[in-house]
Amino acid sequence: MGLLRYILARTAWAVAVTFIIVTITFLLIALAPDPNISQAATQAALQGGDPTEAAQREAEMRGLDQPLHIRYIDFLQGVYTLEWGWSDNRAQPVTEALLEGIYYTAQYSIPWTILTIIIGPIVGLYSAANMYSWKDHLATGFAFAGWAIPNFFFALILVLIFSVWLNLFPLSYDPSAPVFSLQNVHQLVLPVFVLVTGSIGAIMRVSRNESAEFQNAAFMKTAKAKGVSPLRAYALHVMRPTLVPLSTTLVGQILVIFLGSSLLVEIVFGIPGLGRITFDALINQDTNLILGATLLFTFIAVMGNLVEDIVFTILDPRISYDDR
Amino acid sequence: MTANSTTDERLADAATGEQTDEPLLRVESLTTEFDTENGTLTAVDDVSFTVDPGETVCIVGESGSGKTVATESITRIINQPPGRITGEVWFKGENIAACSERTLREVRGGEIAHVFQNPQEAMNHCFTVGWQIVEAIRIHEDVPEAAARERAIELLDRVGIDNASARFDDYPHEFSGGQKQRVMIAMALATSPDLLIADEPTTALDVTVQSQILDLLAELQGEFGMAILFVTHDLGVVAQLADEVIVMYAGKVMERGSVYDIFERPSHPYTQALLGCLPEYGGAGGGIPGILPDPTAPPPGCRFADRCEFVVPDCREGDHPSELPATAADHTVACIHYGPEGDAGPIRDATPGSDRGHR
Repeated sequence: MGLLRYILARTAWAVAVTFIIVTITFLLIALAPDPNISQAATQAALQGGDPTEAAQREAEMRGLDQPLHIRYIDFLQGVYTLEWGWSDNRAQPVTEALLEGIYYTAQYSIPWTILTIIIGPIVGLYSAANMYSWKDHLATGFAFAGWAIPNFFFALILVLIFSVWLNLFPLSYDPSAPVFSLQNVHQLVLPVFVLVTGSIGAIMRVSRNESAEFQNAAFMKTAKAKGVSPLRAYALHVMRPTLVPLSTTLVGQILVIFLGSSLLVEIVFGIPGLGRITFDALINQDTNLILGATLLFTFIAVMGNLVEDIVFTILDPRISYDDR
Repeated sequence: MTANSTTDERLADAATGEQTDEPLLRVESLTTEFDTENGTLTAVDDVSFTVDPGETVCIVGESGSGKTVATESITRIINQPPGRITGEVWFKGENIAACSERTLREVRGGEIAHVFQNPQEAMNHCFTVGWQIVEAIRIHEDVPEAAARERAIELLDRVGIDNASARFDDYPHEFSGGQKQRVMIAMALATSPDLLIADEPTTALDVTVQSQILDLLAELQGEFGMAILFVTHDLGVVAQLADEVIVMYAGKVMERGSVYDIFERPSHPYTQALLGCLPEYGGAGGGIPGILPDPTAPPPGCRFADRCEFVVPDCREGDHPSELPATAADHTVACIHYGPEGDAGPIRDATPGSDRGHR
């Protein structure tokens, strides 16, 4: 079964990629001076003790006197058993802090991702069907505007207009609102809107251009000659082949927005999600938490690419699974 | 006939049509123009013809003569805009050129089916061939999926796809060019159309496969009792298949007649020039000197005047000549030499291959 083998091979490759990334992360940390050691040394010097001895003691306590390969194995074990250490700043395990972040991030990320996946291709297809009409120009203008404006800046403008001036939406995010409540929907409207406009542009453009190619394909003439209605022709005969190139853009684009823009948007709207947690960890030099967030984002990116590879292969029947 | 009439009623219509000598298809003054950046391009200019039930009519002419556009204008497969189609298309007693897009969709694929030139691109690469045939069936008939599937497999088997039930779930790229064209024919026959429009269906195939496909079409025509409107530039194919022949040049009909008249008594200098290109008529394979006139600004008079060896000053004046009787009642030619003031003698004497002594 070629497809199954292909998926297994891709998954194994994804695991290998995470392994390489974890190793690089470990080396970077091992090479960098540990702030805790210099802090211990400073502390000792201030209190009249021996800074060298204090530094050594601290290093021993943290296991830094062990040879590099032992520390590497310990580190690997920690990463793959989800023992990601203690967040000093938040006074809780790193994994727990990240889970709390995911809880809030998912509440707005899932809606905007779904909206983008549904609206983007449909608007792109509509644009292609009405190419160079005012409808197409309107949709294209919208796509480019959303694409061009930095998300955090757009978010600030929206907060200023709709929350501060018009008072239509709450200014601050209330984390205690139940997930499935009107209050929660209300307070997530603006962040979801910002992220949809930011991510939909590229997807609309790709679906417009790809479907523009397919709507003039010979098989569309066949479909018309068979008596297929225009709606059915677009929804099936154009949309289906468009999904193949679109799938690559879709996953990539969503990942970019998820990993990059979410962080800034969360800060603007005061959502205590993954982005906010990462930002605070950076400000407070909370090494374990930064590391944990980095690893999490890395895994999400690797998973996204894995999904993209598999979806692409399944969508295009002409791709052979053998010898890959 | 209305959009929701049953097959029986349609057959009855066809039967009465035959009794009253009404052709299956009667195209009147069909004109198709395209708005382009260089002005209006007239691809088909005031073309009329008829197809009787069960008959094979070939439209022949060189590339760019408007053959394909003419056939695709019948059921308005041509996109409008940029295309603009005028004229009347009487199919089984109804002017389908005047009916709604919705009614026309019933005719397309249901009663008039198409097979196109390039089978490589004529099918959607993302759907299995079975899915595409089932779609053709279920758009026109309210049959369950399983029954449609069964019929699709029968059709695949009939057109010569080996192991049809297994190949039903294969994608187009898993078929060879000839097999794809067989699948396209199966798809066209899915609803037993009365008229099959075959637009150079063998041009993209290699020679051995070409003759197989032509044989298949001839067999199926008898089985399904359908008329075929066949577009080609290949005179060999015309000789093999046609009952009636229409010779087109630069969007105009130059000559029409039975296959016998066209090959044995070609009367238009253009038809003669076309036949003259065939090796068995003494052609050296050089083609007809000159090029087609500019379709956005056709010259006055006869469209073929610039390439014609019998040209006289009158040829370049007025409209394109109207069709005049040539040798038989149903054999007409659009050439002023056949008019009351013309002398067609030299043209008749120049008939290519008249010294062949066999055929």
